[in-house]
Amino acid sequence: MREISHHPKTETLAAFAAGRLDEARGVVVSTHLTLCAQCRTAVADFEALGGACLEMVDPAPMNDPSMEEFWARASDQEIMPKKHVHRAANDIDLTAVQPLKAYIKEPLDQIKWRSIAPGLAQHVLDAEGYRAGVLRLLKISPGTKMPKHTHGDEELTLVLRGAYSDEMGVFRAGDLADLDDDSEHTPMAIGDEDCICLIATNAPLVFKDLVGKIVQPFVGL
Amino acid sequence: MFGVEPAIVTPAPEKKREPSSGAAMSELLVRVAVAEDRNAFAELYSFFAPRVKGYLIRGGASPDLADDLAQETLLKVWRKAKLFDPAKAAAATWIFTIARNLRIDAARRASKPALDGEDPALAPEPEPQADDVIERNDRDARIRATFKLLPDNQHEVVKLHFLEDAPHSEIAEKLGLPLGTVKSRLRLAFGKIRKELGELDA
Repeated sequence: MREISHHPKTETLAAFAAGRLDEARGVVVSTHLTLCAQCRTAVADFEALGGACLEMVDPAPMNDPSMEEFWARASDQEIMPKKHVHRAANDIDLTAVQPLKAYIKEPLDQIKWRSIAPGLAQHVLDAEGYRAGVLRLLKISPGTKMPKHTHGDEELTLVLRGAYSDEMGVFRAGDLADLDDDSEHTPMAIGDEDCICLIATNAPLVFKDLVGKIVQPFVGL
Repeated sequence: MFGVEPAIVTPAPEKKREPSSGAAMSELLVRVAVAEDRNAFAELYSFFAPRVKGYLIRGGASPDLADDLAQETLLKVWRKAKLFDPAKAAAATWIFTIARNLRIDAARRASKPALDGEDPALAPEPEPQADDVIERNDRDARIRATFKLLPDNQHEVVKLHFLEDAPHSEIAEKLGLPLGTVKSRLRLAFGKIRKELGELDA
């Protein structure tokens, strides 16, 4: 598999491990993790830190220290067998990976896109169950340049298909851009297929120039 | 063990389960996995259930809900013990992730009851890694040692980061610190831990 070159920030991985991300960003990060062994290891390390913290919690005595109630609950539940783990194929279809399957019901080609500007279409996914956050798919046609924008707060963008380039480099499938309010960028789809990204935001994007400002109300970004 | 009666009969002090006994906890869990050993499980339960309950209370759950969710957490530990892989995580780590996911699910149900029970895998099923058990234990030991050696002010915010559910801004307020200070302490602490593990910062 191609080496992934853009990863979440350390703080983002640590926030994921602590269960601090909103649902939308959690989905984006966990999708990236299914592809990126390096970040999986980092998350496992931060989870180990979480385990160490759990051991330090002041114990709150259980209502049922004898475990009677516990074994009663356990008796009508089956013990799960050892599971076979399937290793991902090299040309993994990103939309079919576990974290995303719950959100994208149909194949990417059959998604109902809503055009928001020439060369730009989006499809909003339902991921508002846990903390505020918006999850959407964005389709950028080859050669389309998005208006320059900053991010009110934080934005995570994972490329699912195709590629785009911006001030930070080239982003291909599996690459994740972890942007905050300091970053400003002008992504442009490159190559000859649509670039499809999975984007989690917790604040509206702010466009920097007039074109963007005109587009913004329609885009609903 | 019982061959020679010790001269002075004092009960052995109950071993205090410091984080150093992590490997012992993992062995208990393996015994549960292999033989459905209820005694081994009871030991895990008596250590972890009250701590998971404490963790959930810190996350904002009422004592009764926390008690119920702590039981549910340990129920998952019992049911899924065969899926536990000590090469991937220590027992404490694994139990932490189960409790964390239940805490997330509980919050999700509260804010949006309509969502179906399907867990959208906020914790992805990890693929097998080359790390073996010894490597994992070694990493854990280094993480714990580095964590212990952090300056108090960094140690504190790391603990709050993992245990509290409140946003960093609220943690900062509670500590009477600017948000930027909390964030930079966390960054420093996480950076040290990753450096200790020989990771490159992303």
